[in-house]
Amino acid sequence: MTGALATSRTGRAALMALAFAFLGLFIVAPLVAVFAGALSQGIAAYGGALVEPDALSAIKLTLLVAAISVPLNVVFGLAASWAITKFDFPGKNLLITLIDLPFSVSPVVAGLIYVLLFGAQGWLGPWLEAHDVQIIFAVPGIVLATMFITFPFVARELIPLMEEQGRDDEEAAISLGASGWQTFRKVTLPNVRWALLYGVLLCNARAMGEFGAVSVVSGHIRGKTNTMPLHVEILYNEYSFAAAFAVASLLALLALATLALKSILEWRYGVHGKGHL
Amino acid sequence: MSLKLANIAKRFGAFTALHDINLRARPGEFLALLGPSGSGKTTLLRIIAGLEFPERGTVYYEGEDITHLSVAERRIGFVFQQYALFKHMTVAENVGFGLSVRPRRERPSRRKIRRRAQELLDLVQLGDLGKRLPAQLSGGQRQRVALARALAVDPKLLLLDEPFGALDAKVRKELRHWLREFHDRVGLTSIFVTHDQEEALEVADRVVVMSNGAIEQIGTPAEVYDNPVNAFVFDFVGESNCVPVVAADGRATFRGAPLAVETAGLRGAGDLYFRPHEARIGVDGDAGLPATVTLVRPREGRARVEAEVAGLSELIELDIAPDTAPSVGETVTIVPTRARLFPARDPSEAAA
Repeated sequence: MTGALATSRTGRAALMALAFAFLGLFIVAPLVAVFAGALSQGIAAYGGALVEPDALSAIKLTLLVAAISVPLNVVFGLAASWAITKFDFPGKNLLITLIDLPFSVSPVVAGLIYVLLFGAQGWLGPWLEAHDVQIIFAVPGIVLATMFITFPFVARELIPLMEEQGRDDEEAAISLGASGWQTFRKVTLPNVRWALLYGVLLCNARAMGEFGAVSVVSGHIRGKTNTMPLHVEILYNEYSFAAAFAVASLLALLALATLALKSILEWRYGVHGKGHL
Repeated sequence: MSLKLANIAKRFGAFTALHDINLRARPGEFLALLGPSGSGKTTLLRIIAGLEFPERGTVYYEGEDITHLSVAERRIGFVFQQYALFKHMTVAENVGFGLSVRPRRERPSRRKIRRRAQELLDLVQLGDLGKRLPAQLSGGQRQRVALARALAVDPKLLLLDEPFGALDAKVRKELRHWLREFHDRVGLTSIFVTHDQEEALEVADRVVVMSNGAIEQIGTPAEVYDNPVNAFVFDFVGESNCVPVVAADGRATFRGAPLAVETAGLRGAGDLYFRPHEARIGVDGDAGLPATVTLVRPREGRARVEAEVAGLSELIELDIAPDTAPSVGETVTIVPTRARLFPARDPSEAAA
């Protein structure tokens, strides 16, 4: 073994140790703490905290919000990335920038924007009140805020891949007589399916875990407008630590499941999704 | 007359991709669009296909104006440079794609589509690979699948974008012969784009030489090779040597040394072009270019000689019979046996 290689080996080991120490300290330890906290008063208390009516309502609401916002964002993400990568039009760069906006805006600000628009004192507030429509402090506001926060996830996954794949496949399909819809369904969609699934996964994880924007528009009405992350916070503030951790553990499990699925997808994606024939 | 282009022009922003293109393809003809990158040849092919639309000008097919018809309405078979095979479909599904996306009323039954795909795969000699995925094929095989797929919709015209571009040298040569032979068997009017002059000269019935968005010359391979209309074509369709000369009184001279070439009425600065095999080493008293031999190498039964001429930045290259080859370092006279004189492209060069 040469000296240079030995040095680089030492260096590599040090870097790896550092990386693992960081991961252990900031990711693994908290994760373990969540589950330890959740189970600190036994399995029965853990189960009890999850089936308690307010917790159940929070879980249901979280699932409902994800069930609405994720499909809508899939449609939006597909449409936006299809438009951006397969056509040239003025304002294309503006569209790309706008898609990234939710990443650069603080979620709290995003929530406040909706309050400003739809709240009782907001621009559209009086009109909405007159027509008996409630958005802020109700489910529609939570869905809107979640959609805003999560709309880049699908598009951001698809745009680079579709950019790389180019337009040849679509042009080939069209030259063979396929309609726009047939081209999309039979050629484009299969070409991006793994990236799309990956985007859906990330979008879903964020939709279920979003706190800031939802917190602003929700109003924290127990059993009504509390999502899981909000419920965790309320329980925590009331010193019901075991219950707070129990609900939090569900979110942590969601994260772990997402991570596992993501790895599987990346593996498959690496095998089948890349490259262009 | 099957395909006719009249005054086609196309711009991309400030860049003029094509100006005033006029071209005809005869029925059953195999036409090559030959040019360097940026010459507009691919844009022209895409305009013929209906994948791109011209700013001005008209595309006629059988006398009918098809300028504004989409690619599908034109019934064009287009083979993409990277083949654009659908990678999640089997080879047979790829070939049958054009039939399977037809509106229900016109769509053949699944069995018929399968049979047609098989026929086409047999035609391109890939009969037993129908169940494979494109990723499991070699480059040359993918190319043939793309061809079969394009033929499935019974196109009136076959267009190929750099059909050999993505292949390695050996497969390229094989496929070239195969494609020519295939064209003769199918008899479809075909146009292909290439930047490789050897390919164009070997495969096409006629070659359209393009540069900077314009057609320089249209002719048979022999015409463009032996009688190029200008210096660009001469240089592009084959190996060439260029010597700046001055023409006066029917004589051409290089730095005062007279050369035995026809000036064809040209006066003043000119560029003398000749191919490596169209020159010989002079014997005593021959008029020619004084040169010093820098390299001699065997090449396909001939000798490749490189020689330096004082006042020329480029080496002169010759292909001569090995027994007449000089040795390195020798001072010789290079006598062009067949040369073409064109007006100088850059006058300052000739004056030097």
